[in-house]
Amino acid sequence: MTTFAETPFVRARKRNELFAKLVFGAMAALLVTPLLSIVAYLVIQGAPLLSLDFLVSNPSNGMRAGGIWSALLGTIYLVTLSLLIAAPIGVLAAVYLNEYAEDNWFTRVINLAVVNLAGVPSIVHALFGLGAFVLAAGIGRSVLAASLTLSIMTLPVIIASTKEALSSVPRAFREACWNVGATRWQTIRGIVLPNSVSGILTGVILQVSRSAGETAPVMFTGAIFFRPIPEGDPFAYSIFDQCMALSMHLFSVTTQVNGAPPALPYATAVVLLGTVLAVNATAIGLRVYLRSRKKW
Amino acid sequence: MSRLRLSLLCLSLATLSAAGCKKTQEAGAGQGLRIQDIGSDTMVNLAQAWAEAYAAVHPEVSVEVSGGGSGVGIAALINGTADIANASRQLEPAELERARQARREPIEHIVGFDGLAIYVHKNNPLEQISIEQLSQIYAENGKIDSWSELGVKVPGAKSDEIVRVSRQNNSGTYAYFREHVVGKKSDFKFGSLDMNGSKEVVELVGRTPGAIGYSGFGYATSAVKFLRVSKTKDGPGVLPSLQTVQDKSYPISRPMFMFTPPNPARHVTDYLSWITSGAGQKIVEATGYVPLSKG
Repeated sequence: MTTFAETPFVRARKRNELFAKLVFGAMAALLVTPLLSIVAYLVIQGAPLLSLDFLVSNPSNGMRAGGIWSALLGTIYLVTLSLLIAAPIGVLAAVYLNEYAEDNWFTRVINLAVVNLAGVPSIVHALFGLGAFVLAAGIGRSVLAASLTLSIMTLPVIIASTKEALSSVPRAFREACWNVGATRWQTIRGIVLPNSVSGILTGVILQVSRSAGETAPVMFTGAIFFRPIPEGDPFAYSIFDQCMALSMHLFSVTTQVNGAPPALPYATAVVLLGTVLAVNATAIGLRVYLRSRKKW
Repeated sequence: MSRLRLSLLCLSLATLSAAGCKKTQEAGAGQGLRIQDIGSDTMVNLAQAWAEAYAAVHPEVSVEVSGGGSGVGIAALINGTADIANASRQLEPAELERARQARREPIEHIVGFDGLAIYVHKNNPLEQISIEQLSQIYAENGKIDSWSELGVKVPGAKSDEIVRVSRQNNSGTYAYFREHVVGKKSDFKFGSLDMNGSKEVVELVGRTPGAIGYSGFGYATSAVKFLRVSKTKDGPGVLPSLQTVQDKSYPISRPMFMFTPPNPARHVTDYLSWITSGAGQKIVEATGYVPLSKG
């Protein structure tokens, strides 16, 4: 029996393979570094101020001391309300586009609109929100106007991710369902949605992180520099009030407030990032849980 | 469902209170009184400090402060979306015209003074500058471009060139500086660094040895210093301070205004009289501005 000796050709191939793997692996590892270093840097810089008290007390002494309660609560209001508006519209629209719509000019126009809406910069959304909701609709600068602006901004991405999740359900499932006489709606309710709900929810929740971090759209439509609210009262804002927001607060303390302790902007950033990461973690957890219940 | 009901409740309440405010301008039962206070970035910290202190004495009134610039505040006042417009300048003729058309000719309240300091890097050997020299540095056809023309060499500067730091053009500080220093008719020289806030001007000057900038004197840090300002080239230079602004010997100081619509609500006038009272004026001084002189 002859043994296969490593020819130079095989060795070269192996070497190339190893090289390629290393390069690609290094690039993937590189992705993690910015996130880790950002988090580490922020936490180290903000550490002197981080405490539970920081979360639940209002800014004081000309926003140089105290906590970020009013801004944190504002962000929670904005994000929750925008999600309540955008999620139903986005998911239902995506179901229509993926399950009902035929390939005609109308569908193509809608799809084109969705793709283009996703590419609109957030500052343009901000100006649109100011013109449409604050001024034309007469809502005024408020939590509602800002949330509407945020939901317009997140809608296209929710639609895209929901469509993705829906189309990951194999077509054979639907055909089997139709062949036993089910209507489209019965198929959607019984087969398509249960099998895609993890993907839909992940897509929707990930949008929260985006809207929590946006500054421009809320700055023009409802977020303000300062407003005193009762500490610890979760119903301190009404949806027609203006509110403070974490992203805007971070911008204010870095650009406007003189003599703030250096840890203050970092601690604010940690809370903003922490909120976003906590929401993302929920999305991942939910996804894992729902996947584990999938039967295929 | 309860959420929907809650928001419907909010909606009806808000419509009611808005309608009530517009028609009768009454102070109501003292619940949820709001003051929209919008405008000047120079005054935003002061307005914030007032709002914070007022919440401690009058918790029933919520003062909502936002910045954006004097022009933003005045526009909001004319649109009817602000109860008070903070401005570090008076109304421009065009704004006054629009206010007249909207039948909302604002009432002017002077709430304090701001000394506009000329900042340079702390290592800059220059001590004094005249209004004329400033104009030559900043104005479009001005002839001074380098520190050597002012007779100094700045240690640590990359070149002899004067790095001009200015403000964005909807800032009241910009408008004031343009009118009183650069000259009403001339424009700014190209190539200045236009910053979006008073604090940013001072920070940039503190980082840049060859820079010069203007900002409220309350924004000083240890990385910068004030220049003495004189009216004429060889005149006596004056440093900005509480006294020199109040007795008007410091040449570039300006009043800070709060504008209200013609018939402000009761809680708004109460707020304004608190601002001009001793308690409010103490905060002016603590924030780095100059209180109204007594008497």
